[in-house]
Amino acid sequence: MEESSRKRVAIDLDRLPIKRLNAIDEIGNEQFPPDVSNEDKRLGMLRRIDFSSIVADSIETRRNQKRTSKEAAPGPQQTWPWQGFVENLQLAHQELSVIIDLINTVEANDAVAVAGMQRPKQLPNEILSDLAVSAATKLQRLRNLGRYFKQSSKALEQRVSREARFYGSLIRLQQHWKVKRQRVSATSPGNEGFSFDLVDNTSSNTTILSHPLPNTLVHIVRETAGLLAIQRPQKSHQCISISYSASDFNSRNKKSLKRNIYKSDEILQANRKETLTDEDVNSWVKDTHSVLHEIHQSIFLQQVFDRVKHESYSPSPGIYVTGMREDFLQLAVGQDTSIYLSLVPFKKEDEFLDSMGHSQNTTNEHPHSDSSALVVINEKDMLNENNFGVPSPAGLEIYVMHIFHKNSVVRLKEKKISASRAAVAGQAAADSCGLSHFCKTIAHRIFSNKVLAEIERLVSRIPFVQLLSHPPWHSRTSSWSLSLKFPESVFHSACLSESSNNYDAKGLIRSQLHTKIVVKDDQVTVSGEGAPSTLCSFRISPNVSSVGSYGCDLDDLPLILLQQIAGRIIQWLHDEALIVGMKVRRDFLCLYFDLDQGDMLGLVARVDPDDVNGCISWWLIMEDALQDDGKFSTSTGEYKNRRFLGHLSLEALYFMLMDLVNVSTDNGFS
Amino acid sequence: MSTTLSLCRCGGRMNKAAVGGGGGGGGPTAAAAVAAAQKQKTLLQRVDADVSNLVDNFSHLVNLARVNDPPVRNSQEAFQMEIRAARMVQAAESLRNLVSELKQTAIFSGFGSLNDNVDRQVAEFNRLEEGSERLLEKVGEQAAANLKELEAQYYSSVLRSSQGDDG
Repeated sequence: MEESSRKRVAIDLDRLPIKRLNAIDEIGNEQFPPDVSNEDKRLGMLRRIDFSSIVADSIETRRNQKRTSKEAAPGPQQTWPWQGFVENLQLAHQELSVIIDLINTVEANDAVAVAGMQRPKQLPNEILSDLAVSAATKLQRLRNLGRYFKQSSKALEQRVSREARFYGSLIRLQQHWKVKRQRVSATSPGNEGFSFDLVDNTSSNTTILSHPLPNTLVHIVRETAGLLAIQRPQKSHQCISISYSASDFNSRNKKSLKRNIYKSDEILQANRKETLTDEDVNSWVKDTHSVLHEIHQSIFLQQVFDRVKHESYSPSPGIYVTGMREDFLQLAVGQDTSIYLSLVPFKKEDEFLDSMGHSQNTTNEHPHSDSSALVVINEKDMLNENNFGVPSPAGLEIYVMHIFHKNSVVRLKEKKISASRAAVAGQAAADSCGLSHFCKTIAHRIFSNKVLAEIERLVSRIPFVQLLSHPPWHSRTSSWSLSLKFPESVFHSACLSESSNNYDAKGLIRSQLHTKIVVKDDQVTVSGEGAPSTLCSFRISPNVSSVGSYGCDLDDLPLILLQQIAGRIIQWLHDEALIVGMKVRRDFLCLYFDLDQGDMLGLVARVDPDDVNGCISWWLIMEDALQDDGKFSTSTGEYKNRRFLGHLSLEALYFMLMDLVNVSTDNGFS
Repeated sequence: MSTTLSLCRCGGRMNKAAVGGGGGGGGPTAAAAVAAAQKQKTLLQRVDADVSNLVDNFSHLVNLARVNDPPVRNSQEAFQMEIRAARMVQAAESLRNLVSELKQTAIFSGFGSLNDNVDRQVAEFNRLEEGSERLLEKVGEQAAANLKELEAQYYSSVLRSSQGDDG
């Protein structure tokens, strides 16, 4: 094929680079052909090469091949749509191969060196097609750019909205919490170095705390949706629990708000929905604020517990430490009661939501199950469980927080006041704040409940005595009073008319009993009319009324109160008898009536705190019994002249007195 | 433009914060004022650079949209267009980072507003504390009054009277 093409090709080469004269005009100017540039020369040379014969031959051979192929294999009637394109490419390939062969031949002959070739001038349709292709290509590229811009703008919008959510939440939370920034490299996605500093400078004091609190920094995490979440530090959900038993610590129940909280090793949840409304963001911020509040409260409680432990190190009155561990403190209050303070986690802390939102309840283990037991076990723990009258543990928890918070506020104010005045104020504050005050308060509450129980037992057995409470609004002081209202005398109006009788006026004033019982810490003070002491019992003068106060023990309190009540009744009867003109004399709990003809009748009050029928019973003794031995005998049935009257009411005593008046006027006693 | 305007406002606020902080806290030093002005200038320069970057690249992009004859040139221009587009996106990203920095500056440097907010919170909490104290006192007084009334009712009740009769 190539040899045949070589034979057919006729090449016309101009070997002589001579300018041939075209014409000479009349003037004599020679007209040469215009200078042809090298490119034009090349083009001219190329155009001289006639490829038409070759192309025609190739077309004929191809047609023959087609006919033979069609005759040989009658294939499908449909032609391939790209067949023409392929044929054109094949033709172009052939032309190129011819040219290359020519070039090689010319170079090999070394006759003419082909310096270069230029692309032949394109036809208009070719130019237009090339332009169309270029335009289409450029349009495609511009469309790609458009898609790229759209994607970028969408991504930027999402990032802007995420940042708006994040920084908006951060600014809102900054109004309530201190935000810190640490310029650290982002080791984990979403961690940009922001954190909430929850340390309370007003209540913290490094010299007082036994160890610094490491959980005051709460790291902020940015979720994929731009929401602000926090990384919960360890031991950040603890509360103080107070109980009367070492095995009974009630953790507080807290609403689970776990979607805002991540543990330190937890990865960000990537399944948050991107379409968040303002309400979602608002609720998220509120939840985060609540969680921060809980953590802050937990930190405060840890500080309180640390201060409690610190104060327990130094000996103080009222503080008796019987056991101590890291998060556990046992104190003895009173004689047979112990309280246990411990830092326990919130109950809901053991439940957390996994990435799918399913709650996983882990076993709520006892906080002290796996720690070494250094506590001294109180043998009376079981008894204390059934004690009534002990303060409520929940109330004690609130009170201990109140005490130490007040203490910290006082200390803060002391810092603002001058140093000289601060010393005085600190001393005053120390008396009402601190662990000592707390322990004394508990001891007082337990003791005062016992006192109240005793008084109530007495009052329940004596119908005419009333118990009134007087809350003093001091945590270590309790006050009650017993009142006794005597019935009005028959001669009440007559007494009023005799204004010259000073005694009657005093008797009106003393128509009631007012005995006050005050308990301060563990000291009982009884104040009221009449003194139960033996010394005062010898006072015969009726004009003397002593109002004194004296301390006593819990065991002696019922007897003392009963003696006061009985003494006051005797005093009342004495006054009433004097009003009616009887000759009477009083001797402690006895009232002697002087009858005519030298007879004497005695009314004796007997007090017994353990008498379930009534603590005050009355006896009537006659003259013979007094003359026999001069002593009052409590045994009934041994003396014929003594009669047991029973537990009489005030009205009955008054009527009995009136009967005695009648008896004395009749000059007989039967 | 809007970014530039907002930056000017932020810069003004920063100046106000600096001046306000000066009025409340004893006055910023001259060095702090100079540093603040320098930072404001730097931020404005960054904004200008980013915006001009955006505009230039977009104008080049538009110029490159012309269809040329040689296909090779079109390929070259396509590559240039991609480069320009990437630079535009980069400039936009830089502006976004600038806005983030401004927000962080506003969060951590707005001492005047922070102090005002803290004072407001303190006053609110003091008011709540006083209210709580009054409420507690009121509750205590009411409890005492109720206790007294209940005691009086009990001792004048039939139950107590029947105990007296039985006794």
